Amino acid sequence: MEIQGAIDSAVAEVGTVLLGKEAQVRLALCCLLSRGHLLIEDLPGMGKTTLSHALAEVLGLSYKRVQFTSDLLPADILGVSVYDRTDASFSFHPGPIFTQVLLADEINRTTPRTQSALLEAMAEGQVTIEGETRPLPEPFFVIATQNPIDQSGTYPLPESQLDRFLMRLQLGYPDPQAERQMFLSKHSGQFRSGALRRCLSPQQLTGFRDAVTRVHVADSLLDYLQRLVAFTRQSREFAVGLSPRGALALLDCARTWAHMNGRAHVVPEDLQAVLAPVAGHRLIPSGDYAGDGQALVDLLQRSVDVIGR
Amino acid sequence: MSVPFGAASLIPRNALVWIILSQFALLLPHLGRLPVWVVLVYLLTAVWRLLVYQGRVSFPGRWVRIALIGAGFAAVFFSYGNLLGLEPTVALLLTAFALKLLELIRRKDAYVVIFLGYFICVTAFLFTQDLLLVLYSLFTLLLVTTALVALHRPGEHRFRVDTLRLPALMLAQAFPLMLVLFFLFPRIGPLWTVPVQSHAARTGVSDFMKPGDVSSLSQSDEVAFRVRFAGDIPPRSELYWRGLVFSVLDAGTWRSLRYHELPAAELRAPRLEPSGPELSYSVLMLPTQQNWLYSLRYARSPQSGVLATPDFRLYSPVEVEDQLRYSVNSWPETPLETELSDWRRRTELALPPASNPRSRELALGIRAESPTDAAFVDAVLAYFNRENFVYTLQPTLLSAPEPMDQFLFETRRGFCEHYAFAFTLMMRAAGVPARVVAGYQGGEINPLNRTVIVHQFDAHAWAEVWLEGRGWVRVDPTAAVSPERIELGLEQAVAGEGSFLANSPLSPLRYRGVNWVNMLRLRYDAWTYRWQSWVVGFNSDQQYRLLQDLFGTVRARTFVIIVLASGALVLLPVAWLLLGRHRRRPPDPAERLYLAFCARLARRGLTRGRGEGPRDFCRRVAGTDPALGQWAEEFTAGFEELAYASSGANDGARAQLKGLRRLLQQMPGRAAGASRLVRG
Repeated sequence: MEIQGAIDSAVAEVGTVLLGKEAQVRLALCCLLSRGHLLIEDLPGMGKTTLSHALAEVLGLSYKRVQFTSDLLPADILGVSVYDRTDASFSFHPGPIFTQVLLADEINRTTPRTQSALLEAMAEGQVTIEGETRPLPEPFFVIATQNPIDQSGTYPLPESQLDRFLMRLQLGYPDPQAERQMFLSKHSGQFRSGALRRCLSPQQLTGFRDAVTRVHVADSLLDYLQRLVAFTRQSREFAVGLSPRGALALLDCARTWAHMNGRAHVVPEDLQAVLAPVAGHRLIPSGDYAGDGQALVDLLQRSVDVIGR
Repeated sequence: MSVPFGAASLIPRNALVWIILSQFALLLPHLGRLPVWVVLVYLLTAVWRLLVYQGRVSFPGRWVRIALIGAGFAAVFFSYGNLLGLEPTVALLLTAFALKLLELIRRKDAYVVIFLGYFICVTAFLFTQDLLLVLYSLFTLLLVTTALVALHRPGEHRFRVDTLRLPALMLAQAFPLMLVLFFLFPRIGPLWTVPVQSHAARTGVSDFMKPGDVSSLSQSDEVAFRVRFAGDIPPRSELYWRGLVFSVLDAGTWRSLRYHELPAAELRAPRLEPSGPELSYSVLMLPTQQNWLYSLRYARSPQSGVLATPDFRLYSPVEVEDQLRYSVNSWPETPLETELSDWRRRTELALPPASNPRSRELALGIRAESPTDAAFVDAVLAYFNRENFVYTLQPTLLSAPEPMDQFLFETRRGFCEHYAFAFTLMMRAAGVPARVVAGYQGGEINPLNRTVIVHQFDAHAWAEVWLEGRGWVRVDPTAAVSPERIELGLEQAVAGEGSFLANSPLSPLRYRGVNWVNMLRLRYDAWTYRWQSWVVGFNSDQQYRLLQDLFGTVRARTFVIIVLASGALVLLPVAWLLLGRHRRRPPDPAERLYLAFCARLARRGLTRGRGEGPRDFCRRVAGTDPALGQWAEEFTAGFEELAYASSGANDGARAQLKGLRRLLQQMPGRAAGASRLVRG
């Protein structure tokens, strides 16, 4: 299949700059191809920025980056109208948000005010500045990165805003072999714009969505999904179960994942593959349960039978 | 006091309010029996606990609690005079129940209070098994269960009435099971008994009588027994319910003969040849803690456990501690004891020597003017009627050493026992065998269910004289003084003086004149009769009879099967409803086939984890046992095609399913399997 080859080459291309992270790259692609925003959460220096920039490159999309700081204001992202003395009128200077891929670096360093300005734009696909609504480019992806929230000087995103991200990924340390290869490589972490080949054409990108909607979902799989969702709502380890929006996101990503793997139907393994990144940040452990979101996902996957009884 | 608080172990406010509400509801049916201070304890503890909740005061310390417990014991002791017996123990339990509120800190304390609540709900039945109480107990049961449900809803910080919904549903679901258990649960005798006799003795006719006894009984509107006749109800002037026969006059008190006073020849009840019309009826008697039963004259009971006495009464060898139903046949016109034995004649003529001389003199005088004993009886009755005697509920207290002389010649105000006393005395003085009979006279006919309700105020005493050739003849001297008492009942007889139920202003019987109140009361009494007959009176005999009617001869094994089967019959629909809700569609044949595939592999030691998908499992199988690999891959691919790639059942799917089923049978053998793999 043509699209499958394109995806594989894109993954391979990103792999040249981000070594040994093929699984995460695939998931990130899946997220973007499902038209969702991506949150990458990890310690500094793990390649968050590299991944997002590389993704934009291989998809052939325009890319801008905003480093979020505590004194960043909404206008710094959205843009501002400036009085032009020559033709005596206000002219709008668009902010960095007017791009196809926006990297919001360290989103939890800025104030909630700026965070919500960005998240609103993410939800609606448009921004309203001084009473005028301006559409954002199509497609529009936000790849936000954040440090683990227990670091000092951060404003953790509330759950309702975490929900706006389709996936949350953690990169983790590279395996020793990949790391060694990185030490030996010439760029040694330096990443230049235009270094990567574009792998998906705009036609392929738009056509992809249509193909995904045709992916077949059988009753057996819906049963499995409903069992998963019911488990999160009934077990006492969960303070909050998966919302219908969360369940929809799961199904959507599973479809994309199936299509990425060249299948015309979703199998339980597709659902399991996207379960951790899609559900992990939406599940909150109850007071009785010591584990975090990741542990909850493991528990969920372990406890719910794939085949109905 | 330091208490380790954990958010999960705290009691939600909603639960606290429900617990306190149910405590007061549980107290209510006991109110009439309890001293006032118990109510104060309930109010105090509730207010204290609510103030603790608001943080204004703290929980009592250990010594305060110990002091409160001690005070509770002491107060019960001073109120009742002892700590044993039913009423003091229940009072103690209720006090402890209230005080437990001051220890209500964590969830485990709440469990103690709630389960104690269920127990207290049952204690009310130790005193009465009234229909209203049962309905009320269902309500308290709901309240206690609501508290239990509220306890399991953490974080409810407001009192919510709609918490009632779930427990109401649960109890409604339990209702059919309750019916099954009621009809089928074996009625096991108690393993031990508590002393039910309480310090407040029950009202009722006692086995001795002195002037003033019956009139005090007449202040009570309690029901003594209810009677249902098989045929027509006789006129009320014929309804003399004999309970006791007083043959001995001893120090101004009439009493019945003791068992040891009877000679051996007189112990057996003579069996008479019945004559005249027969009355057949059944009596539903409320507990009296006594042995004697009530019946119309010449009564026989076909029931085992109901015996006859030489003076033609019925009695039960064990005291009536529960309600008792017995059926009786009576022949009112049968002459009683036409031949009188010497001993009997002597006994029924005995009088204390030289007592009441003026009365004896009067009797002898009248006898001298009468030709026969029968004429003498009529003459004495005429004397009562002629002279200025008054029938009253408020007789003058007789204090003289010769009470009957005082009554006959001075006060002349008396109730039935005075007239029966005086009449029997005069008969015996003149040499006519006579005795006093105590029991009830009349009764109220409930037209709704054709029963006769006999109240305590229908208690009555009359006389029997023995006449040559006629045997014992009933003579009611009260009828000579106040015919209304016999024809119309006590209320009409004393209507002039307004003393009927003067001490119970709220008794619905006082408002019999108000038509709708009366109808309501009779309606309720009809319900009570049905309730007492069918629910309270449902004992092991009735249970056995019911089962026999339904299933023929019942043996132990059949009985167990019936119990289990009917329990299952009730529970299965509930289980089906509950489980059916989770099953969204009928099990998929492909999924069932896949489970069979997993079961086969499990027998080879390859168990699929719950969360393991078919592809992952297949990969693992191939990795561990290469001999199975190809077969497993083929099967998994086929299953995936069926379960996840195709939509709905069509011919293609059916063929695929068939192929898959065949493939399942072709699982490779254990060791040499790899070479024998057959393609499906």
